[in-house]
Amino acid sequence: MLALQLLVNGLVTGSALGLVAISFSLIYSTTKIFHVAHAGVYTMAGYVAWSLASRGAPDIVTLAVTVAASMAMGAFIQHQLYARLERRRATPLVVLIASLGALAVMQNVIAAIYSPNILQFPVPWGSKMVVLGGVRLTWTQILTVIASLAAYGATIWFFHRTILGKQIRAVASNPFLAEITRLYPQRVYVIVVAIGSAIVALPGILVPLDLGLQPYSGVTPLLTATIAMIAGGIGSITGSFVIAIGIAVLQNLSLLVIPGEWSIGITFFIFVIFMLFRPTGLFAAAR
Amino acid sequence: MSTAYLQASGVEVRFGGLLALRDCSFTVDRGRITCLVGPNGAGKTTIFNVITGFLKPNEGSVAFQGKSLDGLTPQAIVATGIARTFQNLRLFVDLSALDNVLVALPAQAGEEPIGAIFRPWHVAGAQKRRREEALATLEHVGLADRAHEFVRNLSYGEQKLLTVARVLATGAELLLLDEPASGLSAGALEGIMALLRRLQSEGKTLLVVEHNTRVVQQIADEVLFLHQGHLMATGSPASIISDPALAEIYFGGAI
Amino acid sequence: MDFLFSYIALAEVYVLLGLSTNLLVGIAGIFSVSQAAVFGVGAYIVAQCLMTETMGFVPAMLVASLACIALNVLVTLPSLRVSGDYFVVTSFGIQLLATAVFINWTQGTGGANGLPGIPPPDLFGFALESNLHLVMLTTVAVALGCLAFRLIMRAPFGRLLRAIREDELAVAAAGKGVLQAKVSAAALAGAFAGSAGGLYATFLSFIDPVSFDLDASILLLTMVVVGGARTLAGSIIGPFLLLALPQVLTFIDIPTTIAASARQLIYGVLLIAFMLFRPQGLAGEKL
Repeated sequence: MLALQLLVNGLVTGSALGLVAISFSLIYSTTKIFHVAHAGVYTMAGYVAWSLASRGAPDIVTLAVTVAASMAMGAFIQHQLYARLERRRATPLVVLIASLGALAVMQNVIAAIYSPNILQFPVPWGSKMVVLGGVRLTWTQILTVIASLAAYGATIWFFHRTILGKQIRAVASNPFLAEITRLYPQRVYVIVVAIGSAIVALPGILVPLDLGLQPYSGVTPLLTATIAMIAGGIGSITGSFVIAIGIAVLQNLSLLVIPGEWSIGITFFIFVIFMLFRPTGLFAAAR
Repeated sequence: MSTAYLQASGVEVRFGGLLALRDCSFTVDRGRITCLVGPNGAGKTTIFNVITGFLKPNEGSVAFQGKSLDGLTPQAIVATGIARTFQNLRLFVDLSALDNVLVALPAQAGEEPIGAIFRPWHVAGAQKRRREEALATLEHVGLADRAHEFVRNLSYGEQKLLTVARVLATGAELLLLDEPASGLSAGALEGIMALLRRLQSEGKTLLVVEHNTRVVQQIADEVLFLHQGHLMATGSPASIISDPALAEIYFGGAI
Repeated sequence: MDFLFSYIALAEVYVLLGLSTNLLVGIAGIFSVSQAAVFGVGAYIVAQCLMTETMGFVPAMLVASLACIALNVLVTLPSLRVSGDYFVVTSFGIQLLATAVFINWTQGTGGANGLPGIPPPDLFGFALESNLHLVMLTTVAVALGCLAFRLIMRAPFGRLLRAIREDELAVAAAGKGVLQAKVSAAALAGAFAGSAGGLYATFLSFIDPVSFDLDASILLLTMVVVGGARTLAGSIIGPFLLLALPQVLTFIDIPTTIAASARQLIYGVLLIAFMLFRPQGLAGEKL
């Protein structure tokens, strides 16, 4: 029974993590920037939502404003930081260090404003339990799964069915060609980072609804998500999503034998295994 | 049958669905200048990548002086006596011309940290001799007076000469030069052709990718015509250039 | 006077760490946010050796250095197999994993409470207890470190590393082993970080996981970025300046609750500002 509960918990965390992985994968496969500051956007989304919710804003307003704020922050980082560095022909190492700097700034501004302590969402319905076939679920967890699957579906639809989505895929596969066909990669990059930031706002709100907020808690999910991206095959949306769920399930099941504080070890172990045996990822050609 | 100096047999390279080289076989004779020609996308650079170990062929093999190069790393292949230049030069632009040559000198004292830290005097002494050697190499290609200049301050023609110096520094006997004459002014062109002939007279063997038919006519002993990843024809420069079918492929397909 | 001594000794420990980080990040061009983890391993090993009286200070330093060489080589290996971006994941992973070990392996590390009462270093049966003696020890260590760094940069090995940073493929085409060179640089960085750890532990006589977490790694990176890559001067200036920062902050009236975040915030701002406007740092070469 415990195993079943852990399996379900894994599926729930995994679906949220899947969104982080999708959003990071979109940004990385298009801009080729290892956007570490994405963890900051993820964290910021939770705090924006908390501020609004604790002031009594309606849920729908909270969601809309949080998503908009995340998009703005992502676009700002791309436009004001990465694009500037790109114009100066900065090496990837320099861009990476700047991104790490942006992450440090965001986390610590948040810590300075809200204190580094854990904050709980003032949402009474969130922790109400439902028992389904012996498995206990909170409404937050149910919402997480539904929202994640919906966002995953929407992302797939967007990139395969809309003109903008197809243009982004064109830029991702060949920025130079896209440039001569007037797709302006730099503009597309801003849009992609904004979209990625909008997607990551969802887990940014949903995960803390369950577990509470902390300013420095974004790095571990981002790391796990990047591992899912690499293991799933860079550029494969489905690959990232599925592997993220797989990792979360493994992590949760491992609680049966290994204490929870070592779960980062499990994640990392999975990464090393993939590095050694299949560095191109499981879904590499499935774009 | 005597073994060829360099022999490629049945080399095939696939990139996804694209066949970059198919059943590509040829030989290069010792002490000669062999030019590799063909329209864009014929696989000329790909064959360089295969010979120098940067690319593993899907089929076929390459042998140098009778020994197979299959599975060797680029580093090991340089040690057998083959070195290459790159079409886009790939010089170390933040280093001086002299340092670019020094990097390529084989087996240096102090090239690993233990020697560098614990035998500083030995390393310094060896370095001094190595600098002389590198300077001589630069002199050989006519860049002695530019030795201490940063690469980014060198003209394009000088940078091309430097790529040749770097290849020479490895001590290789077979030099693979990827478009050494492209983009050069008439004067620089004469200079590099003279250099290539001089290298030949000193016993080096050259395999050269070249587009300029005038250059090919002047320097080549043998021409290999590559088309769609396959060796189409081989012969003297005059016979290849006068062949109307090849000219059609070359000029008709190029633009 | 004591205050000045401890500032100098601490700064000197960080100079060793700066040299270590510079070797990896500045010279070999390998992005790393796990140098604090390696530093920590060195510190805990020396602390344990001295506290359990297994061996004296000098052999303990040797053991710590060897362990850190092995660790750094192991950490760097995956980055050599696959693309550079994957190393970001490895590096974050190692850092988070190490922090988990430092906090949770209570037997070996004292857990979150840390290890108090580490005995002072001894040289040939003579215990160095006064701050003056300790400063002399760190000064000698730093002088040796700087000498080694300088010898390396002037030797063919230094030139090879610079060439690798610029163009690995061209180095391979010149017949040089890129892999061996990078592993050697990582090993050297490990030795520097390990001995810095040992000096740190014996100098403070108390260590806890906070000194070796991700923020500490970011601090190390900031030191190299501010001081400047690939020069001895840069590796010395960075630590001395950044360690003076907390002292400067005490003059400005910042509530103690947010002092830590304020410090990290400044590191973040420095990282971004230097990458945008001065990638060569104060006294270094361009990253």
